[in-house]
Amino acid sequence: MISVAEPWVEAPLKRFVDDARVTFALLIYPSGQVLGQSGFSRAVEVMSAAALAAGIYATVRELGRTLDGKGFRDVFHAGAKRRLYLAEAFTPRGPCLLLTVFDEQSSLGLVQLYFEELRTALAQTKVQVPDAAPMLDENFEVELNRNLAMLFGRAPGRRHITPTS
Amino acid sequence: MKTNLTPILSALTRQRGVRGSLLVDETDGVIIDATMHVGMKGPAFAALAASLYRKARLSAEAAGLGGVTFVRLRATEGHVCTAGKNEMVLVIVADVHANIGLIRMEMLKALERLTI
Repeated sequence: MISVAEPWVEAPLKRFVDDARVTFALLIYPSGQVLGQSGFSRAVEVMSAAALAAGIYATVRELGRTLDGKGFRDVFHAGAKRRLYLAEAFTPRGPCLLLTVFDEQSSLGLVQLYFEELRTALAQTKVQVPDAAPMLDENFEVELNRNLAMLFGRAPGRRHITPTS
Repeated sequence: MKTNLTPILSALTRQRGVRGSLLVDETDGVIIDATMHVGMKGPAFAALAASLYRKARLSAEAAGLGGVTFVRLRATEGHVCTAGKNEMVLVIVADVHANIGLIRMEMLKALERLTI
């Protein structure tokens, strides 16, 4: 099941999940705030994955700057059975990250292929950009909890769809 | 960038009607080495072709037919041929009028020579 905190990510994220046949997908802002998810069943899992993904991204970006003069754009980790891919995309509201986990039903090549389509779709999304209010530390937890509540149906504005496959 | 696999793939690409030869990791679907005509979307094609070969291999195994030696996909504008060895997939894209019999023979010979 896909659930989103912001409706404009629903269609592109669903298409990515269906096409790439990934087990988990999590779309977040680099701060760790969640935009949408697929495959997770509990809010605490989403919160942990989002925090860890944001941490990994911050680390590899700095590592890339140190080694290569610019931040790495994506990260791939091959586990024994599952693989993880973390990559950066851009939306009218700024950069975001996709964390996705897949097994032998998919491959790195397929995930990268369909991620490029997701990246293009997100970049072309027509979404109103709110007045630039920086994410403040004191607001972060409130915003994070609000998004998680929306994702898991504990707040108004919940949206979810069931994949066709 | 040339590798020790490049001459083998280049020889395949020089066959009449062949648009490109790619050696792809079957599990990851990423290119190990390739020689292609200009305009081919290598990474996308590699990912999809490796997935196709993998599913054909798994189907053959599930049907009790043993390993797959050669897979040919015929489309309106050409052919995609794949053959695998040791988690690698050799992929050829060819025009509709290419000599598939000859290409198949050359692919299987090339597979024998491919070692990483």
